[in-house]
Amino acid sequence: MIEIKFKVNQVDYKLEVDDSSRLLDILREELGLTGTKEGCGIGECGACTVILNGDAVNSCLILAAQVDGAEIETVENLEKNETLSRLQQAFVENGAIQCGFCTPGMLMSAKALLTKNPHPTSAEIKDALEGNLCRCTGYVPIINSVLAVAK
Amino acid sequence: MQNEVSKNRKGQDSVIGKRINRVDGYEKVTGKAVYGDDIQLQGMLYAAIRYTDIPAGKITQIDVSEAEKLAGVKAIARFKDIPGQKRLGPIRADQYAIVDEEVFYTGDVIAVVAAEDKEIAHLAADLIKVEYQPIPGIFDPREAFQSDSRLIHPEYKSNIMVHYPLRKGSVEKGFEQSDQVIERDYKTGFQEHAYIEPESITAAPDPTSKGYKIYGSIQNPFTTRKVVALFMGLNLNQVNVFGSTLGGSFGGKDDIVNYMACRVALLAKMTGKPVKLTYSRENSIKESYKRHPYFLNYKVGFAENGKLNAMKIKIIADCGAYSSQTFFVTWRSVVQATGPYEIENVETDIYGVYTNNTYTAAFRGFGSPQIIFAQESLMDEIADICGISPVEIRQLNGYGQGSITASGQKLSEHKVSLNEVMITAMKKAEYEKKIEEFKLLNAENDRFAFGIGLSCSYRGCSLGAEGTDATSAIVSVQADGSVYVLTGLNENGQGMRTTFSQIAAEILGTKMEKIVFLEPQTASINDGGPTVASRGTITGGNAVILAAKEVKQRIFEVIKDRLKETDLEKTSWQNSIIKSKNNEIPFDEAAEIASKQGINLSAYGWWNAPDVSWDEETGQGNAYFTYVYGCQIAEIMVDKSTGKIDVLKVTAAHDVGKVINRLGAEGQITGGVMQGLGYAVLEDYNIQNGEVKSANLDEYLIPTIKDIQSIDPILVENEDKFGPFGAKSLGEPTLELTSAAINNAFKFATGNHSYEIPLTLEKVFLNKQLKKPSRQSEVAHTETCRVHSTKKQSPRLNNITTITPKNLDEALKLLSHEQFEILSGGTDVLIGLRMKSGEHKLLNIFDISELKGISISQNEIRIKGGTTFSQIISNSVIREHFPILVEACSKIGSTQIRNRATIAGNIVNAAPCADSYPPLLLYEAEFVLQSYHRTRTISAEDFIIKNYQTQIEANEILTEIILPVPAPQKYSQHYFQLGRRNALNITRLSLGIIMTFENDLISDCRLVSGSLFNKPKRLPEIEKMLYGEQLKAKMIEAIEQPLKEIIEKEIGGRWSSEYKIPVFLNLMRNGLNDIRKKKESQND
Ligand code: FES
Ligand code: FES
Repeated sequence: MIEIKFKVNQVDYKLEVDDSSRLLDILREELGLTGTKEGCGIGECGACTVILNGDAVNSCLILAAQVDGAEIETVENLEKNETLSRLQQAFVENGAIQCGFCTPGMLMSAKALLTKNPHPTSAEIKDALEGNLCRCTGYVPIINSVLAVAK
Repeated sequence: MQNEVSKNRKGQDSVIGKRINRVDGYEKVTGKAVYGDDIQLQGMLYAAIRYTDIPAGKITQIDVSEAEKLAGVKAIARFKDIPGQKRLGPIRADQYAIVDEEVFYTGDVIAVVAAEDKEIAHLAADLIKVEYQPIPGIFDPREAFQSDSRLIHPEYKSNIMVHYPLRKGSVEKGFEQSDQVIERDYKTGFQEHAYIEPESITAAPDPTSKGYKIYGSIQNPFTTRKVVALFMGLNLNQVNVFGSTLGGSFGGKDDIVNYMACRVALLAKMTGKPVKLTYSRENSIKESYKRHPYFLNYKVGFAENGKLNAMKIKIIADCGAYSSQTFFVTWRSVVQATGPYEIENVETDIYGVYTNNTYTAAFRGFGSPQIIFAQESLMDEIADICGISPVEIRQLNGYGQGSITASGQKLSEHKVSLNEVMITAMKKAEYEKKIEEFKLLNAENDRFAFGIGLSCSYRGCSLGAEGTDATSAIVSVQADGSVYVLTGLNENGQGMRTTFSQIAAEILGTKMEKIVFLEPQTASINDGGPTVASRGTITGGNAVILAAKEVKQRIFEVIKDRLKETDLEKTSWQNSIIKSKNNEIPFDEAAEIASKQGINLSAYGWWNAPDVSWDEETGQGNAYFTYVYGCQIAEIMVDKSTGKIDVLKVTAAHDVGKVINRLGAEGQITGGVMQGLGYAVLEDYNIQNGEVKSANLDEYLIPTIKDIQSIDPILVENEDKFGPFGAKSLGEPTLELTSAAINNAFKFATGNHSYEIPLTLEKVFLNKQLKKPSRQSEVAHTETCRVHSTKKQSPRLNNITTITPKNLDEALKLLSHEQFEILSGGTDVLIGLRMKSGEHKLLNIFDISELKGISISQNEIRIKGGTTFSQIISNSVIREHFPILVEACSKIGSTQIRNRATIAGNIVNAAPCADSYPPLLLYEAEFVLQSYHRTRTISAEDFIIKNYQTQIEANEILTEIILPVPAPQKYSQHYFQLGRRNALNITRLSLGIIMTFENDLISDCRLVSGSLFNKPKRLPEIEKMLYGEQLKAKMIEAIEQPLKEIIEKEIGGRWSSEYKIPVFLNLMRNGLNDIRKKKESQND
């Protein structure tokens, strides 16, 4: 077991967790933040994407010890005062969601991109989302959603 | 969220046909939607599976003693514990949720453990020992088809589980009357659903019913209920199934989750506690059913002008170890096997055959993508032979109004829009113009070939004569005017809840916001049949209409005096106001009045599909009550030097009857096309002698966001008299056409007909599939085999301890007296550890600041080992001096991976396909290796010994990469990386070139290969040959043979060399020519 201190969605936590646990497990099981999903466990699908110190990362490939002192943002942090963020809103309006399982990861990858680059091109959007698989939408509506916010 | 509203035919405001936001959008963008694995119940236990180790054989012994001893293990369920029916299946009960004494495929389950926590459950599963008497498996359905072949399930007397014939006219006569008769064989592969959510099911004892509540990722709750009730020996009303939000299904979360539900229900019985079973991706791919591979033989006779006279079709479908939905899937194939063409003489036979492969069942398309691939490819070939265009042949033979299908059905009850969808798609895609453009492009370009191809289909809606086709819905208006809608069908992610809410809103004239679609549970409504066959909208929509109309009538009865109107038809219900000529009442108020008067405002709608018929012997009858038509046009680019296909655009026109939700409908098309694209070029479920090779999403490749450039969805409307507001179906047709369109575009591009999908690199380049051979066959043929497997049953991280040193000094000190595995970005190490058993001590150095950063001096650049690829590729100095390094690193994994993966990690891992390494060889990098006592420098050239082996010692850390800054003189460069798709690749081959010229002569030349040899390597012999020469076409030719010999010597015997050697030679030629041409144009 190891002790970690970190910040998730602006809240400070101090936890004792198993060394083998991944950031993904900690979020889902210790903190009850089940918005972050597991689709493959090997960094291929991006369903587990969260923002760690400003960067989009696969939370299935980060061990507990590696988040000590870190600042993390998950999909649960996007809605503020019962208002969806522009990005969330755009996903709904452009049909970027079907089953929704890839959505939290997509949103976090897109948010990390938009924070660094508020006006990305289609190509930049594809670079940022290449690690997020979606089996339902064919991606077209997802790209449109991010473009809508980028304008 | 403002939804679009427009006028309906009566000029009233209508929500039908508009772009409507999903009713479940909010919960899905906020992470609040509850999926299978998100379910937590008080006192819940966790389950894990013990799978078979071999695909076919008798189990001689199962030893659970060690597993049982593990503290925290609560129960281990085995065959003997099954209280009810032991073998199950939708038609034929041939499948085991837990096997008895024989295994039939690699996903068979021997035992299931329930324990206090996940890890204990998994550990216990790993500890169960099984011994077998292997049986040689049968993995080719054509072999299983033979009458002398071993019987997979001897009790059924034959491996042929089902045979559907269809006879119309006389094919012999038809062939005789034909000018030409040709015969072609086609083949399609397995396809994995690859829903992004792996399966998860929870069962909890239910004291009220003395049965169980079942939760989770369930496509057809009623089927799950039935299967669990049988397995547990319970009544239907003792099993209540609550589907959670489904993370994709596409037909896939049916049988497999039913068996999972059986297992957890059994464990819940044995322990008295709720039990959850969640699959890893590996479990999911190994156990879940796939799309049927088909072997198709088409013999067709036609007149000179292309008119079809006769078609004889024989299809063998691989159904794997169990029958499952094969009876239904293959039936659809027999109905539609000729495609939408009028042919007087047809003889079709389809056989579903048992093998020891993964079982196959429902997958979006359901028996149609296979036949459409074959028959639409065939149409293009016939057109070719007759010298007419693909469009002409389809117009000459295609169905029109009143045409008679192969099964003798007259198409007169709906608008036959085959030609309309084709013309629409062609116009929108500028088909004719593109043909000319592509011809020109192809004449000029010898490396890339462009192609355009089309395919058409007709598809029977809903279940047709394959099953009972009825559906239920409840519409319940509350006293305040708000509305519940509930159906016996299930939301799979396709948007059904939104569609049904729209329909209810439309009939009642109330607002979408007033409608709540209730989560389905089997206890609250009657079985609506399965949510399959794109039948949701057409059947469920009708049931909702019936229920809503009933409620509307009841409300009207109460308020008609106030409205001063006796005829409901003469009133208008919209925007929550009920109006007659003389008066109006708000809907909410009317609801209140009615409920105060004790009127039941809840109504049940039950919709029975119109009659259909089928004669099993002749295959004649009215198979479906209505049909949809579609046409897709694919535009592709083929790299002839590698076999890589890029899909540029797909235009997809589909007649949907009537659009209910435009946003949802377009999404169905873009999503379906993408799955069809994957099916056509990428998706290759690799199972060799029963062993699954594509175990996770790194090997089973589905399209990424970079794998298509554009999809143009077109919705054609011809209202159907049976559909709700005229709507028919859409979900499946979108997928079934794409592979044929791509295959026809492939023919256009290359001039070669292809008879098999997927069109993988090897298939395109060598005209055959190349697969890594398996070792399983060796296991399966030994006399007895004791498998005390040390393999993890479910890959996961466990047994890890981590130490995080504060600085480099501490790290090196720790390494000097203890063994650690070094953890940096984790993107390789953790993936590897998931598979490994035993204890692992990790030294986490990711955050050591001394290992981060890039420093620049006059003649060298130093990259600290812990620098991530994202940091490297965004560094301006590196971008300026080492463009190939930047290009190669930006192809690694994905953004998320590059944000974590470090350069030292990639180097030390020493994979032959490591992308950063070839450029480091090119730029002649050196690595600094530091231990507590010494620091040494080693060249990139010398560092790697061979795959995954390097010169680094256990106490060392690779702290720095030193790159000499190239002299400022102009050099030419080229880099090419080949992957199977356009992102998230494991590099198949790469080539880097740097060249400097002095007076036109090559003064420095560096060539490097990746993924070719057992490590990334320079090619000094070839470099030497080029040195001092002019880079002329002749010279480029001259190095080819020697290069070939060098490669052959090293990798000639490998399974992949047949592809890799010629392709690498091509890459080299392309690369050198690229430099030559650039140079020549500079000289001009
Ligand atoms: S679960 Fe992390 S990338 Fe798939
Ligand atoms: S919406 Fe289902 S995976 Fe993206």
